[in-house]
Amino acid sequence: MQTLVNIAVLTSIYALIACGYVIVYRTSRVLSLAHGELMMLGAFGLWVTIALFDGMPLAAALAALLLAAVVGVVVYAALMRRMTGEAVLAAVLATIALGILLRGLAVLIWGPTERHPLAALGWDNPVFELPAGARISAIDASLVGAAVVCYAGLFAFLRFSPWGIRMRAAGQSPLLAAQRGISLHVIYALAWCLATLTGGTAGMLLALNTALDQTMVVIGLKAFPAALVGGLDSLAGAILGALIIAAAEVLIIQFVSPLLADVVPFIVLLAMLIVRPWGLFGTREELDRV
Amino acid sequence: MPQPHSSGYFRTDYADDWRLLQTRGQRGAAAVGLVLACVFPLVASAFLLDLANQVLIAVVGAVALMLLTGYAGQVSLGHAGLMAAGAFTTGILARETGAPFWIALPASGAVGALIGFLFGLPSLRLRGLYLAVSTLALHFIVIHAGQEYETRRGLSSGVVIDPPSLFGAELVDPRLWYAALFVCAGAAVLFALNLLRSRTGRAWRALHGREPVAEALGIPVAGAKVSAFVIASTLTAMSGSLFAYYRGFVSSEAFSLFLTIQYVAMIIIGGMGSILGAVLGAAFVTLFPYLIEMALAQLPGGASMSSLVFAVNYAAFGLVMILFLLFEPQGLVGIWHRLRNWFLLWPFRQRPLK
Amino acid sequence: MKRRILSLLSAAAFAAAVAPGVNAQNAYVVGVTAAMTGPAAGTYAPVMDALRAYIDHVNGKGGVNGRQIQLIIADDQGEPSRAAANAKKLLNQDKVVLLINSSLSSTYAPVVADSKRAGVPLLFAGAACPKETFPPADPLQFCSTAFGATFDSRAALDFIKGQTKEPVRLGLAAMAIPLSRGEIDFAEGLARQVGMTPVDKQITPPPTPDYTPFATKLKDANPNWVWAWSPWISQVRTFEAMRRLGWNGQYLAWAHLNAEEDLARIKDPGLFVIGSNAFFSDDLPIHAEIRAVTHRANLKHPVSFLAEGFVAGLVIETAMKGAAQPTAQAVTASMNNLKVDLKGLRGGPLEWTKDNHFRTRQYYRVWRWEPSAGAVRRVQDWVAVDVKQ
Repeated sequence: MQTLVNIAVLTSIYALIACGYVIVYRTSRVLSLAHGELMMLGAFGLWVTIALFDGMPLAAALAALLLAAVVGVVVYAALMRRMTGEAVLAAVLATIALGILLRGLAVLIWGPTERHPLAALGWDNPVFELPAGARISAIDASLVGAAVVCYAGLFAFLRFSPWGIRMRAAGQSPLLAAQRGISLHVIYALAWCLATLTGGTAGMLLALNTALDQTMVVIGLKAFPAALVGGLDSLAGAILGALIIAAAEVLIIQFVSPLLADVVPFIVLLAMLIVRPWGLFGTREELDRV
Repeated sequence: MPQPHSSGYFRTDYADDWRLLQTRGQRGAAAVGLVLACVFPLVASAFLLDLANQVLIAVVGAVALMLLTGYAGQVSLGHAGLMAAGAFTTGILARETGAPFWIALPASGAVGALIGFLFGLPSLRLRGLYLAVSTLALHFIVIHAGQEYETRRGLSSGVVIDPPSLFGAELVDPRLWYAALFVCAGAAVLFALNLLRSRTGRAWRALHGREPVAEALGIPVAGAKVSAFVIASTLTAMSGSLFAYYRGFVSSEAFSLFLTIQYVAMIIIGGMGSILGAVLGAAFVTLFPYLIEMALAQLPGGASMSSLVFAVNYAAFGLVMILFLLFEPQGLVGIWHRLRNWFLLWPFRQRPLK
Repeated sequence: MKRRILSLLSAAAFAAAVAPGVNAQNAYVVGVTAAMTGPAAGTYAPVMDALRAYIDHVNGKGGVNGRQIQLIIADDQGEPSRAAANAKKLLNQDKVVLLINSSLSSTYAPVVADSKRAGVPLLFAGAACPKETFPPADPLQFCSTAFGATFDSRAALDFIKGQTKEPVRLGLAAMAIPLSRGEIDFAEGLARQVGMTPVDKQITPPPTPDYTPFATKLKDANPNWVWAWSPWISQVRTFEAMRRLGWNGQYLAWAHLNAEEDLARIKDPGLFVIGSNAFFSDDLPIHAEIRAVTHRANLKHPVSFLAEGFVAGLVIETAMKGAAQPTAQAVTASMNNLKVDLKGLRGGPLEWTKDNHFRTRQYYRVWRWEPSAGAVRRVQDWVAVDVKQ
């Protein structure tokens, strides 16, 4: 039972991070490899707001979320906007370079020492008992909750709200959407905003769960196979991909060897690329048949 | 092949067509360059020689990546994994069997070719991003294998390799290394230039341009893709082997994703689609951190700044890459061409069509 | 006439160019290659910042033997190639008489090779001590770092054995780096020899989003004691995850730089740390000195992270005092017969001999959080272990 809980928590972590990859890719066909760094930046944003809103933890948390959203818009306006129309590889490399820049800036501003936002907020992390002897901590539970809320919100947004429908249109065919009068720049900015919001949430919760330091960036990279396995332009696929990879990881740790945990996501990714490169629910594109 | 840049040069036989250095100017420039390269180790300090050696090793790797991504258009993010494969092969052979370098180097190349074949198989089905991602996945798997080897053999600080001996003399002096590496880098560049003039090179260029058209013209697309991966990987693995010999040891921590990004930055900053770009990019990216340190040392501030210097390096690298991507997509070669055209066309001016 | 003026001017210029060289020759030049940025920086940057603050303090008081200590720190980001380039530059260009490595163990091999070629002693400060510093020691490698492989596990298992009469089911936790895995493998074998039952060994990869799956496996094996020897993150997060799963046993970890702060943050009486550096809660005069010096230097790190760097500073100061000339040979000779008064930062003086470049005696203390006292308290005072062949 505890294994199932572990799988659920890891799935939520990967799913939260993966949906950022998916939103940006689906809308603008750009693979944002800076997502790990943006996640870390979101967590550092929480650290900053804790210092600003001393004694008002809830306000600090909300302000941090707002800050993450704003950062997404800024990233688009300052950098990615100029890369529209360029080759896709160039845009991806721009995100990689952005990631490096952000990592360097983070060390410059905050230094390499580990921080503990949970202690700074003054919150506790109680443990809840579940049936069959399993246990889950409050923050792990909120990770699961946050993933559910984010995905439900995104599904509702994309399906029912006018801007969501515009976003889907822009993702399917930018040319036609632009001709229809949809402002692509606003849509892309919105996509980046949502991506950093969800990524930042994941980063903040992870920082609260353990600690805040630079190594969070690598976790962003580990969640990347989850997005790909499910299909880079499908949110439902992201959940399923996260589930598959999390399950594989936890089960291999439990029953085979903990040493493989690092490399399992990439083996699954490779297997998926060989068998079905566009992922489980992705659309076939850019692929040849040999 | 390189074109004459001024008028008055006529080719009178087929041999002229094939020459790498066609005009008096090109021959003169090459001669001057060779002389400077020979004089350099005699006057440079050990530190500068070490930098030059690092640049030469990087040139081999950058040329390989340029062939693969710049000319054949196959995106590969597994470069560090291939270098690691070459380096580890050398390390394992040197340690377990004591093989001399003239066995280990080709063996590393062979291992590189094999792994390159594996890296290249996805390229038959995937393109663009998906191909890049598959190479990324393979990179992690190779690094993991290297780590396992290190731990199983109890080598927590990496595999130590004795310096190679060439004609009886051990290569320890940086000047000897410079000579050896210059020969290697020169061989790699010549090999690349000649390969690009051959059928394989033309097949790659066609592949990069429009794949269905290349297929329609009768070029075996699958064969060309795989050959691109195999040849580039062989070169890369050899550059990894040189790296291992030069540093005297191999450790899986040296081959991180950041190394791949550095090589990709080399070909982007250098300018895609040009061997000269690979060389310039390799030099730029290798020397960049030292330039930043020197620049920051000039600023007033002293000791308190020096802990900032280190983080500034990282941020500056990302910033420079972004600036090149945004404002100078043709890279250093583009700048060089603009400069050269200005001189060639003077007093006329040419505005390139945007 | 013109020629004479020209030659006078050139002679003056030559003298001016040479003069600073004469001055610099009068300083003890010490070079450092450290992971000041990069993923490992959290472990090594505080050590070097504290070292620099201490050396500045010593220089402010007039230096050593009337000479200043010139400390040149080069960042290698934990990368072996950069460390090699740094070593070459420091040895060949800056002509250092002592080279310090404070970085990941993957940077050791090239730095060792370069310093051997130059005949310059190499000090590992804050970085894991390679076995070449244990007796019989390599002539040029020295180590002042608190932790030492195999000795730590021996002391840890001795402590655990002393804490309980019932049979010990020992869990082991390492990080997926060769150094940590090697030590935990050694501890596994040692545990069997001393009559404990190693029940499970968990190896966590360095950056993992969730330590719970590993902790689940470890908890399911039902150990009553767990020994962890790895970077602090891995140790403490495995412990926290196990606690969240409802495990009630005792956890012994190595006291890295973060130990003192984290014990007070976690507030769990089952978390024990064993280490060689005294805690700041002892409030010795040397601790006040550390606070003053580093406050003046405006360091960003919490003060409890800085003891290791100060130890390195004291070692270097004493080594230079014993070196009459600022040359590598004099420094090596001084270090081959060194006794450093650490003023209470460790359990006793740090002594090096020609054969032992680690230390002749290693001292261990154990601490944990005491809920009744509401503070971190010592569980075991200094236990001396002789470091022999």
